[in-house]
Amino acid sequence: MGYMRDNPGGGYGSRPPSGGGGGRPSGPRTGGRKRFLFRRRKYCKFCEDKARWVDYKDLRTLQSYIPERAKILPRRISGTCATHQRQLMQAIKRARNLALIPFTSD
Amino acid sequence: MIRTYETVFITVPTLTDEEEKAVVDALTAIVTDGGGVFAANDRMGRRRLAYPIKKFEDGVYTRFLYDADGGVPKELDRRLRISDKVIRHMTISMELDWAVASKEQAVRDAAARVEAEVARAAGLLTDEAARIAGPLTDVSEAPPAGARDEDDIEFDDQN
Repeated sequence: MGYMRDNPGGGYGSRPPSGGGGGRPSGPRTGGRKRFLFRRRKYCKFCEDKARWVDYKDLRTLQSYIPERAKILPRRISGTCATHQRQLMQAIKRARNLALIPFTSD
Repeated sequence: MIRTYETVFITVPTLTDEEEKAVVDALTAIVTDGGGVFAANDRMGRRRLAYPIKKFEDGVYTRFLYDADGGVPKELDRRLRISDKVIRHMTISMELDWAVASKEQAVRDAAARVEAEVARAAGLLTDEAARIAGPLTDVSEAPPAGARDEDDIEFDDQN
């Protein structure tokens, strides 16, 4: 999966709350930091490209933000900035309506 | 107020080419009659739907990109809703910079299409040249068109 690459050691919801986090959603926090040797810093890929919009027809981009169950990948995992996450959400919902990507899949 | 709109609709896959053309032409006429100016009128092609709509597994996508007054998409929406040959449609109003970029892209796509056509016509003389030119022009055309070809369908299956 695409996001696994950026998040070594912690899958999407697969990790039980660890000691350092105290039940918080997974993410880089100072508490549990020592347990991971190295974690690459997450960044917004849209900002890197200086994208001003997210095209709902651009399936290649959208595919990397919809994991197996076809849900929208949360920001805490992908590292997308708020502005682009909002645009991404809009684009995914549009693409769903046009049957370009599924609402759900099993 | 003139705005840029993009309308995508999905027609039934069982239509013949003529029937499909008739449907699209009728819708095109609505836009032009309402004073709309086309920037793109693409047949994006037949694609497998991500989920069945009205028991159809496939659909033919068509995209209109045009400048018009607000009444045009309204009328278009009304007609698309009535038509039983259209199974899904969506119109969006594009923000200015996106609209400008899309129009530029549409011009480039049109040029690429003409170029590909010319290359194909020239390639009729030498099969070898056509074989080399064909895929290359297709590749340059594929990403802007929104990448909805067979390889995307494979991608869906992987997921």
